[in-house]
Amino acid sequence: MRPTVFLSIFVMASTLASPLGAAEGAKLQSKPPERPMDAKAAPLNIAFVSYANPQQVARDSESVMKYLQKYLGVPVKGFVTLDYGSSIETMRNGKTDLAFVDPLAFMMAHEQIGARPLLLEIYSSGKPAYHSCIWVRKDSSLKELADLRGKSIAFADQVDMSGHLMPRHVFVSAGLLSAKRIEGEFFKQVYFAGGDEQAMRAMFNGFTDAAGVSQYAINLLRGEERDQVKALATSIESPSHLLMARSGLADEQVSRIKQVLLALDKTDPADKAILDKLYGVQGYAEASLTNFQEIARVAASYGFVKKPELFSAHSSKP
Amino acid sequence: MKAESQKSLSRFTDQTLARHAALPVRAHPSQRGLWCCGIALFLALAAPLARAHVVPPEQFHPVVEGYRRLTFLLNLNPVLWDEVKADADRVATGLEMISKQRADAYRAAISNAIAKPTAPVKDGEEAPGPEMRREAARALFEVSTRALAELLAVELERLKASTNDRNVAGQHLDLSRKLWAGFEHEVKATDQPMFKEIGLCWLKMATALGSAPLLGQGEASVDAKTLQEEADEILAYVKECYAAFHAPASRALAPVPLASKTFDPRAAIPAKLPPGSNINKQRPRPRQILNLVARGVDETETPLVAFGDMTFDSSLIFGEPARSLGLSCNNCHNKSITNPQFKIPGLTRHAGGLDVSSTFFAPHANNGVFDPLDTPDLRGIRFTAPYGRNGRFASLRDFIRNVIVNEFNGPEPDPIVVDAMLAYMMEFDFLPNPMLNKDGTLNTQAPEAARRGEKLFNKPFAQMNGMSCATCHVPSSHFVDHQRHDIGSVQGAEDDSQDRALDTPTLLSAKFTQPYFHDGSLATLQGVVLWFDKNYNLKLGKNQVADLTAYLEAVGDGKEAYEEDPDVAAPAEVEEQNFFMASWEFIRDKGKFDLADLLFRTVAQELRNEKWGLRYPEATEVVEQLAQLSDAAIAANKAGQVDVVNAKVAEYRQLYAENKALIDGASAPGPKPTVQVSPQDQLRLVDYLLGGK
Repeated sequence: MRPTVFLSIFVMASTLASPLGAAEGAKLQSKPPERPMDAKAAPLNIAFVSYANPQQVARDSESVMKYLQKYLGVPVKGFVTLDYGSSIETMRNGKTDLAFVDPLAFMMAHEQIGARPLLLEIYSSGKPAYHSCIWVRKDSSLKELADLRGKSIAFADQVDMSGHLMPRHVFVSAGLLSAKRIEGEFFKQVYFAGGDEQAMRAMFNGFTDAAGVSQYAINLLRGEERDQVKALATSIESPSHLLMARSGLADEQVSRIKQVLLALDKTDPADKAILDKLYGVQGYAEASLTNFQEIARVAASYGFVKKPELFSAHSSKP
Repeated sequence: MKAESQKSLSRFTDQTLARHAALPVRAHPSQRGLWCCGIALFLALAAPLARAHVVPPEQFHPVVEGYRRLTFLLNLNPVLWDEVKADADRVATGLEMISKQRADAYRAAISNAIAKPTAPVKDGEEAPGPEMRREAARALFEVSTRALAELLAVELERLKASTNDRNVAGQHLDLSRKLWAGFEHEVKATDQPMFKEIGLCWLKMATALGSAPLLGQGEASVDAKTLQEEADEILAYVKECYAAFHAPASRALAPVPLASKTFDPRAAIPAKLPPGSNINKQRPRPRQILNLVARGVDETETPLVAFGDMTFDSSLIFGEPARSLGLSCNNCHNKSITNPQFKIPGLTRHAGGLDVSSTFFAPHANNGVFDPLDTPDLRGIRFTAPYGRNGRFASLRDFIRNVIVNEFNGPEPDPIVVDAMLAYMMEFDFLPNPMLNKDGTLNTQAPEAARRGEKLFNKPFAQMNGMSCATCHVPSSHFVDHQRHDIGSVQGAEDDSQDRALDTPTLLSAKFTQPYFHDGSLATLQGVVLWFDKNYNLKLGKNQVADLTAYLEAVGDGKEAYEEDPDVAAPAEVEEQNFFMASWEFIRDKGKFDLADLLFRTVAQELRNEKWGLRYPEATEVVEQLAQLSDAAIAANKAGQVDVVNAKVAEYRQLYAENKALIDGASAPGPKPTVQVSPQDQLRLVDYLLGGK
């Protein structure tokens, strides 16, 4: 689990059916009337995550905060954290009301501190979802997953949704690996390279036969290198990164935040400027616990989620 | 965890952001705020997402950056000793991580090596010869290579000693990997077995480092034994190959692992530019005006011009190393216009210039002098003869041939290549400038200050032998006089040598061609005015300087100097290949099938460079199909199957025509379009979604 590459328009994002289709992601709402600022009201605290360029994210978030402030009528304050764990801890301590997180962090936060899913981010595929791939070199003799028996693979990190759990699940679904990790099963060697880029490079350089990482990791290779690799298989889809709220945030404020952010229209220049600074997303789609139903089961099989039933249709709350 | 989360919760201040930099490195990927070892590299690699044709600079650890750049510099003639020294100091700073004494010893060795070739020549003594330079360079390279190896070894030892603490071990692993990058290029090229073996060692170590928990889940413990074993294997290789490194006189200076049992002495090392280089074309693209296009002519109907356009964009007309580096005329003269970002350390003094008589690009034509020239703007080149900054070529044709053969080591060009480039370049127009009358005088659209400056520009100065600026920059003649003058901007070989004259440059479009002067030594037009004021004692007042600057800016202005939307670059570049393909029949009918090979190879290469910058993945796929048709044309052309080539070219044209709107991003693919995403949008996601690993 960590920020995943959602950068490309180039990969086969459009080739897979998704439980979270473009239509679902594209519900624009009208903006509510602006509200006068109540300077005495409790501020809304938002955690923005940034690994690589916190200063830039700090600058970018200002326009977003101004936008929210205008429609919410309360002071909006922003923080930059360098990881999801920190965002969740500050939410646990009551210092953060909203946080941008990835699906695994959200599911754990929901279980542990009751965090609520608000909005999923829509990326270049037009869907609030992504998947992982099993990447191999085109000049290898590998044609299907079973060909990787006795071979080596590099994942990004052990605790990583798109860089380990999802691509590993590809082999589990194909009956090639057990749901529980068993050392020495199927693969001759499994590595955790420390990141998508390192895993892709390991495969590209021939250190390993395959890399199991995000669909977007191909974009970490240079153009001429991308032509030399292919996806042998793709994983189930995961909901995209999302905005979550602390459990005690008032319903009225939650629905207002959703309405205001769902109203951002990428075709409107002013709104586009805000979305560009919200990590460059295309827009937002309403999130619900059931969006996470399938990947909760995957995460549960590795012990990250203890109660996957929290995300099933019959138990989920709005 | 709690304490760390407090650290990570920051207000938007540099102070708190700086504090993040102190967070542990090898935390869980969701927690390790500073598992940034790959961030810079990642950013470098991720940038092509948006514009694959723009190659981001490689990012190295400062020590490695210094080491790799000084290695590049030491292979040049002349060696820029000051720059070498600055880079060696980066290595020395790294050595301070071992001890100050070690760093001081290295600095002393560097100073000692540099002292001999740079010592002032006494009267009656001969200047140091090439052998002394080579010896000093070799000594400096060897001591620097050993220093880098020592640093890497120390880091690996520290890693071995810290396996009880994941965070500390992770920091040492991170730094070790970065230092290894100093040798990796040469090891990959000349010792593939050990390149893979060492690569696996790093992978095993990353795995052995385990994983920190996320909210208490998923912790994997550190495997100290594996960490130590793999570190030992790398240590053994580094010590064997680099600890007592000696550079053979028979090879260029490079950290080749000569002592490795699997070293391949015949393996070629791919050309590589030093850190700090930027040879990318400009984005947004400068607006190019081709006279025939401005007159409404379709370039597909002017095959000689189209072929010239292709050769201008082709690195294949050059020799090595420009060819492998993908360097073409278009990189420096982007769309005919000066590329102000172009830079190669050791060959460039000011960005936007290059030493075109250097050891690197064409050793045979090196003049032994570091004399980088500011890249001239080629707009309106048919009006600005003679050519070359010192006007040494009366003929543009001769100039073109010289660039290909003697500046960039290319083979003797076919006369058609030179004809075509000439035809293409003769179409380059200046930017239209509504402030100028046809006789070069300013009209009322020009600012008042510029019009005051115009009077000064035309005013004779006694300090300039009664001449005015306009004497040489003749307004009615595109601001040139086609003459060469010594204005005092060139340092001669001797005090009384007659080697300082330069061709009068035009002032048209000059607002967009900074820096200025033949060597790019003046960054602004105001700087140019101040230079003349100082060197000719013109005694200009502050307002006069401002007026004269305003005049130069007005004369040098032009309409729409750049394309507004950077997103049009990739589709436009793909469209250009369609123009290039229009020259096939012309080349075929001339029986020049070697030039057809050049055409199709260039088209395939350019298409594959540009396809990643398109908006829709479907467009990328179509452009790959176009590239494959070019591949097929190359094969058929080689086999002498002209009919097959005809068919492939026809298929190409049809496929492009059918998909032009898709490639341009004007029409979305399929009934349910994917979201249209601009390259800028994609870049913004980089920090957010990928920085963690």
